[in-house]
Amino acid sequence: MITLRGLTKRYGDTTAVDGLTLDVESGRVTGFLGPNGAGKSTTMRMILGLDHPSAGTAHIDGKPYASLRHPVREVGALLDAKALHPARTARNHLLAMARSNGVPTRRVDEVLAAVGLASVARKRAGGFSLGMFQRLGIAGALLGDPRVLIFDEPINGLDLDGVRWVRGLVRSLAAEGRTVLLSSHLMSEMQLTADRLVVIGRGRLLADKPMADMLAESSRAAVRAHLPRPDDLRLLTDRLRARPGVEVAPAGDGAIHVRGATVAEVGDLAHELGVRLHGLHAAGASLEEAYLELTADSVEYGTKEVGA
Amino acid sequence: MTRDRGTREHHGGGLRGAIAAEWTKLWTVRTTYVCVIAAFAFMAVFTFYYGSIARINDHPLQPVGNAPVAALVLVQYPLAVLAMTSVTSEYTTGSARTTLQWVPLRHRAHLAKAVVAAVVALVLGFALGVVGMAVAWVVFDGHATFAVAEAVYQVLAMGAYLALVSVIAIGVSFALRAAAGVLAVLFFSLTASPIMLVGLGGEVLSRINEFLPQTAGSGFMLGDAEPHPPLVAFLIVVAWAGITHFAGLAVLRERDA
Ligand SMILES: Nc1ncnc2c1ncn2[C@@H]1O[C@H](COP(=O)(O)OP(=O)(O)O)[C@@H](O)[C@H]1O
Ligand SMILES: [Mg+2]
Repeated sequence: MITLRGLTKRYGDTTAVDGLTLDVESGRVTGFLGPNGAGKSTTMRMILGLDHPSAGTAHIDGKPYASLRHPVREVGALLDAKALHPARTARNHLLAMARSNGVPTRRVDEVLAAVGLASVARKRAGGFSLGMFQRLGIAGALLGDPRVLIFDEPINGLDLDGVRWVRGLVRSLAAEGRTVLLSSHLMSEMQLTADRLVVIGRGRLLADKPMADMLAESSRAAVRAHLPRPDDLRLLTDRLRARPGVEVAPAGDGAIHVRGATVAEVGDLAHELGVRLHGLHAAGASLEEAYLELTADSVEYGTKEVGA
Repeated sequence: MTRDRGTREHHGGGLRGAIAAEWTKLWTVRTTYVCVIAAFAFMAVFTFYYGSIARINDHPLQPVGNAPVAALVLVQYPLAVLAMTSVTSEYTTGSARTTLQWVPLRHRAHLAKAVVAAVVALVLGFALGVVGMAVAWVVFDGHATFAVAEAVYQVLAMGAYLALVSVIAIGVSFALRAAAGVLAVLFFSLTASPIMLVGLGGEVLSRINEFLPQTAGSGFMLGDAEPHPPLVAFLIVVAWAGITHFAGLAVLRERDA
């Protein structure tokens, strides 16, 4: 488990990470989401003891990363896949890594095969494509067979095949009971991969909840109703609008888009009013919408703060 | 994927692991081989000229080892670059962070690099000393003396001096991170300062010069009793290595990776 308590990082005047408190639990994929510059990579660097927090702590199973006896065997991380010496071969890179933490050498060939780089193992990494770098980075993360995995934007530069492979890999790692923290700017990808979502904006925690709740609680989750008779449509619209917190927007062609009420509430009301319904369903928010909504608030908040 | 725990759990890693990783990294890039070849080439060329000039100008007899010792003024640079790039190339490629992920304890990561660079320089220093003496002996053509004890001392001293220069290079590299800055500092402190101080002359400046790493180092390798006894001269270079090592470590600890 990864535990962050009041984790803060300031670079001069910028506060990259601002009082982050959160638990990343084992056995599931925690998606780490936020717009560019939100502080995701900085948070990960602090978890790995690379950047010193300005305040707060980041612990792995209750201990700082630097105090782990064999860090590579306890935490696998992919931060910047291209951060390796271009003249060194993929295999030698992993070999040095294995020796640093007493990982048996045969693991090097195992992970190279697992990520599909066996055929280029003895080629210089400098000639790799971004996708190959990502695979090598993932091989490094897996090398020590760690209980905790941290991936910063691992699907950048991968083709569709690679994306699907990472998705399956990440899910199976969590299914084995490992702790997986995964950042990505691709919201749709998160929707398919993560069990839990942590959203940050301007370094602050905006949401930390199961994916399902995140979708359901979004105020953009809406109900769509289709009524063939214009009179019915008008009546239902008026009665819905009379309720506090409910917004109704015409959606054309005899349909309305209702926010702030559930399918059950709209259905019950239609029944009460005796209006004819041809369609009634939840227009579930995509994660992208929920996410945009959250971060839009954070941007507003940030702007206010600057002005204050 | 297979779990690999149990008996191996408490083996490997630590300082030994860190040194093994640095050793592996060093010999898996071409720069290392280029630097080693350059060091031997410089040594051969320099000692060839040193011996030839002594013969042609009919210099008084001197120990044959003086030729390779003099050559180190130049030969120390490929080895300093070798040590330096093991640090600076990691900052340019961003893999300094990778290294610290493997070995998060700063003093251990730093020590591993210093130990590997020093051991490599020590052994190469012995070999370079022997090669330098052999080349010089041929071209001196009777204008040099050879005494086993003296030659052995000089070979050992050359290895020790080069090892300490490598430690200095590692320390400065961790402190500055960029190759250009490191080279400037090394060139200024090893080569430019002695020339400047001697050129300007005067008692104070030449006294300062006697405490600079290369000046003290040369005295140590030649076995001169003046201005410092060899052991004192050696300890002066050790002090420089210690100061730069801990300066580099302080920066590595303080700054974000
Ligand atoms: N080393 C640094 N020095 C100064 N500012 C930095 C540094 N690293 C990150 N930042 C700033 O911190 C903020 C968060 O960056 P980052 O963690 O990279 O965000 P993300 O990974 O979510 O895109 C950004 O405003 C970025 O410019
Ligand atoms: Mg980032």
